[in-house]
Amino acid sequence: MKPRRRSILSMLDDTVRWTGMPARVADQMSDDPSVDRKHRPMRWIPIWPIAFSCALFILSVTWPPALHGVSPGAVIGVFVALMGSVGGMVPGIHMSGPLGKPSLEDDEREAALRKNSFLICLGILAGLNCLGQPILMILSHLQNWQIVHSASVAASALTLNATLLGCLPTLYASWNLRPLPKE
Amino acid sequence: MISIIRMSLYNRISVFRAEQGISRRKLADAVGVNSQTIGYLERGDYKPSLELALKIARHFGVAVEMLFSFERFEPIATTFKRAGEGE
Repeated sequence: MKPRRRSILSMLDDTVRWTGMPARVADQMSDDPSVDRKHRPMRWIPIWPIAFSCALFILSVTWPPALHGVSPGAVIGVFVALMGSVGGMVPGIHMSGPLGKPSLEDDEREAALRKNSFLICLGILAGLNCLGQPILMILSHLQNWQIVHSASVAASALTLNATLLGCLPTLYASWNLRPLPKE
Repeated sequence: MISIIRMSLYNRISVFRAEQGISRRKLADAVGVNSQTIGYLERGDYKPSLELALKIARHFGVAVEMLFSFERFEPIATTFKRAGEGE
């Protein structure tokens, strides 16, 4: 008997099954999961969008004097690349939350850690904004910023704020927990 | 003047758990928390709420003071030694 040729879709299904994710999701969604629903600490990933946002902000504040002579296309390209990186990474980090899982499943320790993470993040954001706003106002006055420059600084400041709000709680919670030894 | 003193809270959950031969996960399921929370409790990284402390004590069938204390618990060997001397 001639063996049936497999379709591309069935091969793709096999590839997905090979990753182990379907079995893992089915197990986690069952009433009696074989492993605990542990959170996934993200110690390094949130640093990237924060670094990109900081770079974007510094670039927008120092621009145009620091980039004098650079073509506008290159500057726009760098801006788009940085904003794209931030925009792509932050939702993934933020949606997972500080503990990498929905708050509905939190026990008392996790709820406390989640609350602390957000409180600390909001405190840092408030401090940075209290300090940064007057500095930016003075800088714009001293350097006679044009409307385009002010708008780019405002946009990058908004991006930085959103990134910090999305990533700092995750970063704090992930570094706050030392790994437990296995039983 | 109000002085804030952060006191250490010691526990011997791991001793009771080992004695009864139950895993972190089983205990966690019994008291309604994540098994990681039991691990952090045992290591002293997290101080439980009164409710959780009472639940754990009830699970082991002991008074809460037997499980949690502001003073360091004496080593089990010392307890056995003293018990042996008393007989």
